Amino acid sequence: MISCLSFSGCEKDDICDANTVTTPRLVITFYDYNNASVEKNVTNLSIFADGMEEAVTFSGSTLINGSTVSIPLKVNAETTKFHFILNYGSTNVIVPANEDIITFNYTTENIYVSRACGFKTNYTLKSDNPFVHTDAATPDLKWMQYVAVKNSLIANENETHLEIYF
Amino acid sequence: MKHTLKSIFSSFLFLFLLFANAQETKAPVKENLNEGSIPKNAPVAKKNTATTPKTDSIITPVKKDRYGVRVGVDLFKLSRSFYDKDYKGIELVGDYRWDKKHYIAAEVGNENKTTDDERLNFTTKGSYLKVGFDYNGYENWLDMENIISIGLRYGFSTFNQELNTFKIYNTNQYFGEIPPLTSGQKYNGLTASWIEVVAGMKAKVFNNIFVGFSLRFNRLINNKQPANFENLYIPGFNRTYNGDFGVGFNYTVTYFVPIFKKVVKAPETKKTEKK
Repeated sequence: MISCLSFSGCEKDDICDANTVTTPRLVITFYDYNNASVEKNVTNLSIFADGMEEAVTFSGSTLINGSTVSIPLKVNAETTKFHFILNYGSTNVIVPANEDIITFNYTTENIYVSRACGFKTNYTLKSDNPFVHTDAATPDLKWMQYVAVKNSLIANENETHLEIYF
Repeated sequence: MKHTLKSIFSSFLFLFLLFANAQETKAPVKENLNEGSIPKNAPVAKKNTATTPKTDSIITPVKKDRYGVRVGVDLFKLSRSFYDKDYKGIELVGDYRWDKKHYIAAEVGNENKTTDDERLNFTTKGSYLKVGFDYNGYENWLDMENIISIGLRYGFSTFNQELNTFKIYNTNQYFGEIPPLTSGQKYNGLTASWIEVVAGMKAKVFNNIFVGFSLRFNRLINNKQPANFENLYIPGFNRTYNGDFGVGFNYTVTYFVPIFKKVVKAPETKKTEKK
């Protein structure tokens, strides 16, 4: 009888499996502006969301030196503004730090996953103005030459959503 | 989950051990009765009918089984409604004795339960009906009417769910964990049906009052799920686990309403009649 009663105690033992596809990040791939089919590595790129003290961590570092990066969007808002700072912290006058700003405009959809995981949020970049690309507040010329949406639906991290040519 | 299943199986095993025990203790008693009565009865009864009609004290009480309807309530659900502010529920139980060992059994209930999980908070409201039978594997002494049974039920529930709050699972914590979002989304017209294996026992405590408990192992056969949510709790079925399994139990107090009596045909009388 006691064993029966004890069942009610073991209800919350489920944990969300790490392999479950939950809220995705926005995947950006960088290309060479002069050779559009070739991916190009950025150097010491730091990405700050507007108002944040810390940069986005990708692959364990806040300084990105690859040709791809994934950044989180706010799940409880429809715009997220990021400062993309190339050569972050550079003191070299030949390759100075350069900041560009991209504001993403999107709609969110909350999708049920499971008891353990709860819900996830998928994003869809708005078709009329998916993003706004501007120079920094103190103009230093845009380092991004061309920005394009590859996939407007952000439902997983297996594909590129945004392409940046520089 | 795994631990829960393990304990379910072990408690089932425990219940089956009870069955086994019951059988062992009963078997010798039966044999004694037969051995003692048959040889004495056959010759003695015919000769001494006129002088001493009843010499053998063992056969004298005519064993009668009482037949009728037993109705009652699940005390667990009833009491939980008082101490658990997130739960309101009642279950009425009943059975009718079909023959010596079989009972037609049914449960009908209504539940209103708010489940507060780590990432979800939702309220389930609905009613259910379970119909089936119990097989009493317990051989009673004299006029005892105890039951150790195994049975089957078909359960059906109609219910609705309301998602109160939910959390977004986000492996990236750059913007921090956001507080649970309020939903209020209602999912109406949900139904589910399932099969239950019931192991239970009932003991007569006095007169026609019985207390009993049963342990149930459920398997869904039909489950109408809402869009963008899941039936995580089904009235009567209880919490759903992956793979359509569930467990339940009740603790009942029932009142037996006798309707008629049937004389138990003892094995010894059968034999004499044939001869």
